[in-house]
Order: sequence, then structure tokens, then C-alpha cells
Amino acid sequence: MSPPLARRVLVTGATGFVGGRLCEVLALTGVFPFRAFVHSTAAAWRIARLPLDFAVGDLCDRRAVERAMRGCDAVVHLAWGSDAVMRRGLDNVLRVAVEQGVSRFVHMSSVAVYGDRPPADSVSEAAPARRTDMAYGNAKLQQERRVLWYWKRHGLNAVILRPPNVWGPFAPFTLNLISKLRSRSIAIVEGGRNPCNLVYIDNLVQAILLALWKPEAVGEVFFVTDGAVVTWEQSITDHAALVGVAVPRVASPRERMFRDSMRAWPQVLVDRDLRRVLARIPVVRKAESVLYGWFQSLAEETRQRIRLALRGPERLLRDGAGERRFRADDPLIAAQGRTVAHSSAKARRLLGYTAPVSYAEGMSLTEAWLRHSRIIEGDAVPEPAPAPAPAPALAVAAGP
Amino acid sequence: MLGRGVATGPQPLGGTGTVRIGIVGCGAIAETAHLPAVLSSRAVALTALSDINLARLRYLQRQYGLGPIGFRDYREAMPHVDAVILALPNNLHASVGVELLSQGIHVLCEKPLALSRDEGEQLCQAARAARAVLAVGFVTRFFPSTELTKQLIESGLLGEVQSFDYEFGTPGGWAALSGYTLARSTSGGGVLVVSGSHFLDRMIYLFGEVEVISHADDSRGGVEANCTTWFAARVQGRPLHGRVLLSKTHQLANRLRIVGANGALEIKEGQTRSVTYVPSEGGVRHDITAVGTPPAEMEPNYAQLQLQDFVHAIQTGAAPKVDGQQGCKSVALAERCYAVAKPLPEPWCEATLERLSRAVTPASANPAPPELSLAGPDSP
Repeated sequence: MSPPLARRVLVTGATGFVGGRLCEVLALTGVFPFRAFVHSTAAAWRIARLPLDFAVGDLCDRRAVERAMRGCDAVVHLAWGSDAVMRRGLDNVLRVAVEQGVSRFVHMSSVAVYGDRPPADSVSEAAPARRTDMAYGNAKLQQERRVLWYWKRHGLNAVILRPPNVWGPFAPFTLNLISKLRSRSIAIVEGGRNPCNLVYIDNLVQAILLALWKPEAVGEVFFVTDGAVVTWEQSITDHAALVGVAVPRVASPRERMFRDSMRAWPQVLVDRDLRRVLARIPVVRKAESVLYGWFQSLAEETRQRIRLALRGPERLLRDGAGERRFRADDPLIAAQGRTVAHSSAKARRLLGYTAPVSYAEGMSLTEAWLRHSRIIEGDAVPEPAPAPAPAPALAVAAGP
Repeated sequence: MLGRGVATGPQPLGGTGTVRIGIVGCGAIAETAHLPAVLSSRAVALTALSDINLARLRYLQRQYGLGPIGFRDYREAMPHVDAVILALPNNLHASVGVELLSQGIHVLCEKPLALSRDEGEQLCQAARAARAVLAVGFVTRFFPSTELTKQLIESGLLGEVQSFDYEFGTPGGWAALSGYTLARSTSGGGVLVVSGSHFLDRMIYLFGEVEVISHADDSRGGVEANCTTWFAARVQGRPLHGRVLLSKTHQLANRLRIVGANGALEIKEGQTRSVTYVPSEGGVRHDITAVGTPPAEMEPNYAQLQLQDFVHAIQTGAAPKVDGQQGCKSVALAERCYAVAKPLPEPWCEATLERLSRAVTPASANPAPPELSLAGPDSP
């Protein structure tokens, strides 16, 4: 029996991270003909490398969606963005899919539908998801309900995939982790013993391909995760090794919402960028000028006391860097408190999902890409004559 | 007029009267560079604006408070202009440019001049035949740092020039409104043409004839987003090799570095006024600025300088700073790169493809895919 290769798949969000890789795999394997829905041509370079059938437009423009979906009989909806894109954009895609008789609709959701503290029974997708204090998760949950309504009401053959942290080449999760490691603004919390809940991008793509044709997928919600459970400690330390930095370890971060907010307010108000923006308002500009004049008229000792009160004391480590404080609400810190390992057993059973890329192979491919992209040191391309050693940087003393 | 057979350079318009100018193609570069330059110039009068997209025309007319000078068909604009700034997608430069030049209309063509050397030659031939000016919009040639670099190389400051290295890369970048940069048929190439053509032109200007040693890119049937190219040239009678690295997916160093026996010259992208000299010994960096270069706060608008040069060529018959023949050279160089192109290795892209294709292949461990499912909400 031959695969259903005659279908054409519309990929929304095609210039995003998951969309970019999906388009690559579709084009380079030829498993499904496809059309890429492109919002910004500036972001489309990754997929423009491929022989591309594309439509440029905005998902909030229903006519643009109709034009793009013409001739397609399956949709992979990956687009996300503003509230309008999440609601009206999705509605447009769903309505047009029903009108044009699309036979399969794969919707990309997220395990974020359970918020930052998923219930213990969310090992499986059967655990009900409810509104939490996580805006992104709530938006995704609303979308899931909308998609399932179209399945129940209009018979749209919808499939919902819920990946956790998607990692690998081009992944915002990976880039964010590298960036935080480099700026030393991430710590391993409570030994990093909780599961990191990862899915390597190509494993997610395998699930999408399966969801596009497996009859058992229709009307179902699937977790899609890697084969092995990797802890936060392993994931963070493996990435830290690529960057060449040590990672601090902290106990569970305490939420000091009120105290930290009170401390932050004066700093926000004296922030130079904010003042520059506010100064566009003439009355604010005038008030600031008066206030500044008053401040300058104070004795130097008084001015120093005010500065200290606003900025707080600054403690320095031996290398001159300020002591790091870690924000409890930082996504990469907060996520380390998730104790549940979501399971893709259902996807394995119903879709035949195999997670074909192991953690070790994924890390190796990611490292190769990070080096190629100059995100970490070590370019494979030989450099010409090395630059002379730069002059030593001046040490700047920090103080209140 | 085609067929007149006179090839003695552009026919000067004579005098210093205002040149009636039109802009054909009202995309992003027309809006952000050419329209402001034209409207702030006293030497030209904007008499026509042409784009097939009527909504776009209306938007620009309203934005700049223009009169009824919009034409959907550029042919209707032709009686109203002496000269045209041609800012259509690259694949239309040759056909529209030849038509305009044949009518004696002077053309400032956005870069690259054409998709191929043949097309570029057609444009040059049409300009010669009609004695019209054909200039190419390589605006970076008007940066004082470009001229200064050339003079410093020739002055012998570097000693024996040994190598050069140019990098330019940003994730994404220029958003062409029509999306023409996404297909080879309309753009003529990928990052090498879209981002690299300015440097290809400058490289030929700085080093003379340039040969391609090797070119590798990541095109997989579309336009490349990354490429690495090695070139060879001769400077002061000695061979010179250099590497050009371009990316549309990630950040690069974004600078030109020319290394000689005595030291190196560095010019960062956007370093328009000065050149940095780094001697081999001492480690002190020197910023060199030519005497007479305007201070940073009085830096001119380079699109306007380019326009002035074009108008000067029209009025005096002098050659523009970048003429059609020079435009042809960078097009030909890009063509030679693509002719020897090899794929850049991308293990993160290729290593898993075979495994992933099994997701829809009957031979896999998965059950064979059936016909399209018609399952409805009640079937699970």
C-alpha cells in the first residue's frame, strides 16, 4: 500500500523554528508536497533554501488564508503570536479548513496548558487541563478547546500535539539556555533533579508526520517527548559544557513578590531608557527638569544616600561581577519546579511514534549547529591570519 | 533610440535644469531610500511613481503628500520623465530597463544590475545605443571609507597585501514586500546576491579582476541563506586570496579585514567615514579619516549622493560612479560562484532525514498508511 503522497499540506508558522524544520524535512524527503504560509519574508531565509511553494499573508486576513489553503487538503498549524493571531488567526484557519474540506488538521499545542505546576496525573494526556496563572498556557488551552470544538461540531479531523521544551538547532529553548548560561543568569535549582521534559525537534517532526495520516490520531491529544527522561541538571550542565561555564546551584527560590516589587519600583522610575521615553511628554520633561534641579541642589552626602537607597547595595564577587540574583519567575527557573515527566506512551501506541533521535545524538547535532552559527566557539571553517591580541579591558569599579 | 549605432557615451542633457525623475517599483527600498532622496533634492523633480500595486501607490502618495503622479503601468509614466530609478524585483531589471533606455530614458538601476551577465550586457548595449546613462545602485561606493580603503592599499601602508576576509551575517534582515528574494527566478540568487552583491562590487573596485576559487552554500533547491566563497586576485603584482562568509540565519563579525605584512585594515559594516588600521606590532588601533570627510553629525545621505552622481552624469555626459559595465562585473562574478557551487555540509539538517521519512513509508516498523481517514467525531 502506498503512502498518501498526493496530498498537499499547508504549514502555518512556516518561518518559525518548528515550521522551518518541518518544511526542510517535507522538502528534502518529499513525503508530502506542501505550501508554506509566510508572514514576514525577512524571516523566511531558512525555508527559502528549499524549492518552495509559499503564500505571503496574515492569518488574521481571512482571504489570505483562503488563497493559501486552496489546493491543500491538510494543515499543520504552528503559527503563534499576538492575541489576534492566537484567536482570530486560528479561527480563520479552522473555518477555511472546514469550508475547503481539509481532511487532516494538526494543531501544535504545548504541555504549558497545565501551567507551571502540572498535576501529578498529567503523566498522561488524560489529566484535565484548567486555567492557570500562565498566560501562554491559557492561550494554548483556549486554542485546544477551539480546535476540538471544530472536530466535534464540524467533523474537522483534528489532532493536537503537546510538546514540552523543544530543543535542538534553531530552538529558542536552546538559544535561551545558552544565553542565560553565558550571562550567568541561570542556576540549577534543588539539584536539578526534576525532569526537564524535552523533545528534540526532529522527534517532534516525526510525530507531526505521523499525525498527518494515522487514522487513530483523529480527535486525540498527544504528548510528544524524547525517549529518555533527562533531568534539568543533565540538560543544563551539558549545555554549560558547550559554553564553558560553571553553573551555580541554589535552593528552591523563594517568591518575594512584594519586597522585590517595592525594591524594583524606584529603579524602574530612574531608569534612563524609561525617562527618555517619558520625556517625550512636555509636562513630564518639565517636571523632571525641576526635580533634577532640586536633586542637584542637595548636599553631595544627601545625594549619595538617595542613590544608595534607590539602587541598593551592590556586592561584588572576586572577579568584579555583581552577585547574581535569580528571579523565581524566570521561565527556566520556574520550570525546574515541575515534578511531572509527561509520557508519550499514547503517541507510541496509537501513532507508532518512536522518537528516533536519542538525547546524545541530538546534543551532538545541536553542538555542530551552534558552532556553525558562531553561537559557541570553534568554527569548522579555517580562519585567515589571526587578529592581534586586543588591548586589555579596563577594570571598572562598580559602586553605588 | 535603438539601432542608431552611436556609441560615444551618454548624451548630456545640457545645463543644470531640473531633471524629471520617476521611480518604477515602489517596494521597501523605494520608500526608505529613493523617495526621501528624490524629494529632498533640488536637482530633480519627481514626476512619476509606478507600481503594479495600486494600494501601495496610494499609500506612498498619501505618506509623502504627492500629487496625481502614480501609474500602474510604467509605460504610461515614460512621457513624463527624463530619468528613472528602477527598483523593481531583480528579474525585471533587464526587460524594463532595456525598454526605458531604448526610449532615451536614463536609468539608475537598483543592485544587482540583472540576473545574468547576458542580461546586464543587454542593458549596457541599450544604454550605449540610446546614449543614455545607466548607473547601478551600489550605494556603499559613496561611503568615504570605500575610497579611503582603496587609497590606503595603494599607498603601501600595509606593505605586501596577503589576504582579506569579509563577513556579513544577520538573522533575517531586509523584508522585501513582494517576497521576490525567496525565489531564484525573481532574485537571481540568495545571500550572495541579496546581501553580498555590494561587497562583490567593492571587492572588484578594491582589487581589480577577481577569480572564484571555490564556493559552497546551503541551497537545497532554493536560494542559499549561507555561503562561504574563496576568491583570488592580484594586488601590486602579487597573488591575494580572500574569503567571503555570508549568512541570513546568524550573526557574523560584519566587517572587512585586509591583512598585509605591516598590519591590517578593518572596516566594520556601517563604518562609512573611517578605516581602522591595526599595525602588526604594538596592538594600538588607529582610526583613519580622510581630510575633508564631514564630521559624523553632518554625515550626508548616501542615497542622495548617489542621486546627485546620477544627475551629474545626465547633465554633463560624464560616467556615473558605478556604470553598467561595472554592474555587469559583479553579476558575472556571482554567476561564476554559482557555477562552481558545492553544498555546505549541514549534519543537523541531513543526518536524520532517512529515519524521518520512514514515518510515512510502509517499510517502516509503523503499520502501512491507509487511504485518507474520513473518521468523524464519533469514531474514536
